[in-house]
Amino acid sequence: MIKELYRTITSLTALNGFIPLWRRPIALIAVISTPFSFLFFIYLFGGPSKILIGAIGGILFTIVNASTMLQTDLLFYKLDLKFQQVVASTPINPLVYMFGLATGNIVFTLPGLAIFMGIIVFQSHIGIIQILAVIGTLITTWVIFSMFSFLVSTRVREMRDIWPISVMFSIIFGVVPPIYYSISALPGPVQYFAYIVPTTWAAILLKGIVIHNFAGVAIPALVFVVEMFCVLAFTSRFSDWRLNRT
Amino acid sequence: MPIPLESNSLKKIYRNRGRTTTAINNFTFSVKDKGVFSLLGRNGSGKTTFVKVSTTQLTPDEGYVKVFGKDVVSDEKELRHMISLVPQESRPFPHMNPYEHVYLFQKMNGNSREESKDRAESVIGLLGMEDFAKVECVNLSGGQKQLTMVAMALSLDTQIYFLDEPTIGLDIITRKRVWNAINKYRNAGKSILLTTHYLDEAAILSDEIGIVSHGNFIKQGTLDELRSGLEYDTRVALRGRTDIKEFEQYGRVFSDESGMVLFTNQENVEKILSDSFVRKERIEVGPIGLDDVFISLVGEDIEVD
Ligand SMILES: Nc1ncnc2c1ncn2[C@@H]1O[C@H](COP(=O)(O)OP(=O)(O)OP(=O)(O)O)[C@@H](O)[C@H]1O
Ligand SMILES: [Mg+2]
Repeated sequence: MIKELYRTITSLTALNGFIPLWRRPIALIAVISTPFSFLFFIYLFGGPSKILIGAIGGILFTIVNASTMLQTDLLFYKLDLKFQQVVASTPINPLVYMFGLATGNIVFTLPGLAIFMGIIVFQSHIGIIQILAVIGTLITTWVIFSMFSFLVSTRVREMRDIWPISVMFSIIFGVVPPIYYSISALPGPVQYFAYIVPTTWAAILLKGIVIHNFAGVAIPALVFVVEMFCVLAFTSRFSDWRLNRT
Repeated sequence: MPIPLESNSLKKIYRNRGRTTTAINNFTFSVKDKGVFSLLGRNGSGKTTFVKVSTTQLTPDEGYVKVFGKDVVSDEKELRHMISLVPQESRPFPHMNPYEHVYLFQKMNGNSREESKDRAESVIGLLGMEDFAKVECVNLSGGQKQLTMVAMALSLDTQIYFLDEPTIGLDIITRKRVWNAINKYRNAGKSILLTTHYLDEAAILSDEIGIVSHGNFIKQGTLDELRSGLEYDTRVALRGRTDIKEFEQYGRVFSDESGMVLFTNQENVEKILSDSFVRKERIEVGPIGLDDVFISLVGEDIEVD
């Protein structure tokens, strides 16, 4: 059982991660360039003291953005290649399918994540416990946004609909939440909105772990985990693995 | 052992952006024996929709489909262990080669590295894909890509294979390789549900044939049964002849660009032959084929409701 699960996930990871990365390494540039350009501007306008916050933002944005862009892959496999039909007629579980592809997707971000992590550790001198907490937060972020992408991909009917949708979500999840700034900098109504978006809690958590040595992270951590289970429940309930809506 | 396939009062309606299309109005039929069952019908008659319902992709609006006794809705989990699918118009991943497709698909389904490797190699050999098995699919021809999809489906060891136009775009040599593979699986006791627009293929491969039209299942039988179900047993093709009236006394006449086709009975053949000989016309006579059965059952000028 566990062995089969491992085989399913690793083969999907190869399919959506290692093989395309090996054959088309240029795709790395697309994933890494945006957060690094943010880091660059933050350094330019904020000076060296802002590098840490820039790196925290960069690592989070990399995950959120890559997981959101997973929508495009999932939809391509479903609508253009009809691969999802092939898989859906085998015993492979839809969530396992999604996790396998999501793992492959994250492979592309590993070099970027490693660089940002290096900057964070170097700038903040955090210990192993904090590093693990950061990784845990990032994994939870990845789970939330990958599941959400899966949910979206099972509901969209046409390939051309996904471009505007994924760009919109990329902004809502990656840019609006206070990753690079404090939430109080946002205009009133947007603040309320930002509190719903999981990225906000991830950002608060990461800053709490790295900068404030775990001070005040209990509530954000709780909210964040609850959000993960909500997304899981929502995805199980509303995603349409079958083709009934296509 | 339950029968391979049973469809009872199946109805399937697509509802898209306020538009509804009844893709399947009533499919009631059963496939009682293992082997190759071909589903024939014109474009849009509901074949692919049926394949999607049978492979648990779509849920019926009414009626039910059972595959080896398993209901496609309530027993979907068990059923998915028993089926394998080539979807219509499916394509391989551009960045992977055919071998990787089969190998990874095997591993995805829980097989070990060695098993996956063995199965990949054997199916690639079976379909004669050795020459391009290690070429990325982005660089393959349309037919080679199609064959990759067939290879993936055939690599699974299941009870029944749903092949939705598996040989589309394949050249005749390659098509025959797929036929061989299908025959091999059939002889090994597997079931195959095939859809195709190549009627010669259906005639050669099928143990039984089902004909559908406008969302209704209208006829089922072996090729001989379908033939004998028709009013006529003989087909006469006349090149360049335009005088339909004269032949109507012998049976049913259709005219097309190249001349006309007369469906008639054997006893009239002699008369027609000598007549055309006198007039020095070219004429072809033969038993009615699947094409003729198909045309007379679902042809445009015939009401099939
Ligand atoms: N996703 C869909 N949404 C709405 N209508 C659909 C959809 N797919 C098929 N249809 C309609 O359902 C009917 C049956 O389609 P289906 O694909 O089952 O036909 P088919 O027999 O496989 O045809 P072909 O030989 O061309 O492949 C057609 O009228 C088609 O327009
Ligand atoms: Mg079809």
